[in-house]
Amino acid sequence: MEMFQVVLGFFWLVAGCVSFYFSIGNARVWTSIAVGFFLILVGEIIPGALPFLPGLNNPYVLAMGHIIGTLAILMMSYGFQEYYVFTRTLDFEGSKLHVYLTVVGVIVASLVFLLINPTPDEGVLRVIRIVENTNWVFLSLINIDLIRKIHLNIKDTPISNGFLAFMVVFACIFLWKGSQLYMDVFSLDTKQHLINYTISHYANLVGNLLASLSVGGTFLYLGKLLR
Amino acid sequence: MILLPRGNPVKENINPGKVNLADALGKMRQGKFTGYMRFDFPEGTGVFIYQEGRLISSLFENEREHLIAYDGISRTFDESLNGNGKLNIYRLSTELAHSIHTLLHGEVLHKGQDLQLIDIKSLLIRMREEKRSGCLRIYSKEHIALIFYRDGSPLGFFHDGSTDIETTADSSMSVAKEPGAKVDVLVTRGDGEKSLADLMETADITGMWGAAVAERQRQREEQENAASKTQETKESDRRQRTQELFQSFAMAHLGKIGSLLVDKEFDKLKLNGGQISESALDDFYTKLGKSARMVAGPSKIDKMLEEMKKGFKGLS
Repeated sequence: MEMFQVVLGFFWLVAGCVSFYFSIGNARVWTSIAVGFFLILVGEIIPGALPFLPGLNNPYVLAMGHIIGTLAILMMSYGFQEYYVFTRTLDFEGSKLHVYLTVVGVIVASLVFLLINPTPDEGVLRVIRIVENTNWVFLSLINIDLIRKIHLNIKDTPISNGFLAFMVVFACIFLWKGSQLYMDVFSLDTKQHLINYTISHYANLVGNLLASLSVGGTFLYLGKLLR
Repeated sequence: MILLPRGNPVKENINPGKVNLADALGKMRQGKFTGYMRFDFPEGTGVFIYQEGRLISSLFENEREHLIAYDGISRTFDESLNGNGKLNIYRLSTELAHSIHTLLHGEVLHKGQDLQLIDIKSLLIRMREEKRSGCLRIYSKEHIALIFYRDGSPLGFFHDGSTDIETTADSSMSVAKEPGAKVDVLVTRGDGEKSLADLMETADITGMWGAAVAERQRQREEQENAASKTQETKESDRRQRTQELFQSFAMAHLGKIGSLLVDKEFDKLKLNGGQISESALDDFYTKLGKSARMVAGPSKIDKMLEEMKKGFKGLS
C-alpha cells in the first residue's frame, strides 16, 4: 500500500508541476484553474501520500492540508466561472500576480486562524476534512456542468476538446472525494468489515489515481492544444 | 451672349468672386462713375450701367433667362460668388451710357442676320421710314460697332475703344465688311430720354450682397457636408469590409468566438474620425492577440494575425 501511495504521490507531483508550469506560460484565465490543481499537490498529497514525511502527525499540518485542499477546489471553480463569463461576455480582467498573492494571502490567513485557536484535535480535523470533501464533491458536479456549457460556447476553437478532458478529471475527482466523504459521513473507518467500506476504500484509491493521471494528462494535452 | 462695345477700360479681367461687390458699387457711386460693369460667367452675362454715379440699369442674361433691375443684381451677385466669373469695367460718356441702357432693354427686331445675306440699305431706309429709335449692332468675331437711331435718324456711331458717340461711320462700316459679320436690330419704344431711377437708392445693395454671401456660404457648407458624408460612407464601407475580412480569418482559426472577439475589438477601435490604417490597427492586433490567447496558442494566433495584416494590405 505504501508503494501505491508513493506512485500516487509521484503522479500528483507530475500533475502539480505541469499545472503550475501551465499557469505561468498561458493566459491569465488559466492561472486560477492551474493554481487550483497545483494546490492539490501542496495541500493534500504531500502530507497524505507520503507517510514517511516528517510532521505527518502534526495536527496543524493536517489541518492546513485540508484547508489548502478546500482552497484548491474553490480556486478551480472560480477559474472555470471566470472562463464561462469570458465565453459569454468576452470580457476578462485581473492579473496573474494578483491571483498568486491572493492565494498566498489566504493560506497565511488560514494558518494564523489555526494558530490563534486551540490545537485541532481528531474531531476538529475530521470536521475540516468533511467540509473539504463536501466542497470537492458538490463543486465537482457543478464544475462538470459549467465546463459542459463552456465547451458548447467554444466548441469550434482549438482548445474546446481540452474542456472535455476537464469533465473527465472532475468525474474522477468526484469518485475520489465522494468515496472519502461517504466514508467520513458514515464513519466507515470504524466499520472496516462492511462491504461499503471496502468498495469506498478502493473507489477512493482508484479515483485518486485516475484523478492524478487525468490532471497531468489534461494539462499536457492543453499545452499541446495551446502551442 | 450680350454684345457690347468695350469702351475705355478702367479694370479688366478681375475675378468678381474676390471683390466685395457692395463696396465696389458704393465706390462707383461716390466716384460719379459713368460706364458699365460687365460680368461674364459660364452661366450668363451681367451688366450694370452707371450714369454719373447712378446705377441706372442692371441686366443678367443667358439663353433661358432675362433678369433686370434687382433680380439682375441679385443673380449677378450669386454668380460672382461662385468664383468662375470675369469682371470688366469700361468708362463711357453719359449719353452713350444711356444709349447702352436703351440697347440692352430694347426689343430685338432682327437677330444674328448675316450681312452678306441682308440688304443693309433697305434696312436703313426702313428704319428711317418707320421712324424707329434704337440701335443696329454690327459685329464680327473680333469687333463690334453700334449705330444709334432716334426717330429714324442716325444719332451716331460707336465702336470698340471709343468712349463717346462719333459722327463718322468709318469704323462701323469696316466691321460690316469683315468676314462673317452679322447685324442685330434693336428698337425702343417710348421716351428714351426719360431720366432713369437710381437702383442703388431704392435697393439695399449691402443687404442683397449679404444675402448672396450667406446663401453662398450655405451652399458651400451643404457641399462640404455632402462631400464629408460621401467620405464617411466610403470610410464606413472600408471599415465594414475590413471587419468582415478579419471575421472570416478569426472564424477559420478560432471559430465563432474568434469572430465575436474581432467584433468586440473593432468596436473599441478608436479612429477619432481618421481613416482605418495599418498603424491604427496595431492596437487592435495586440488586443485581439491577447484575447485570443484564451482559446488558442501563440502559433495559431500569430498565423491568424499575419493573415489579417496581409488581407488588410490587399484591401488598401
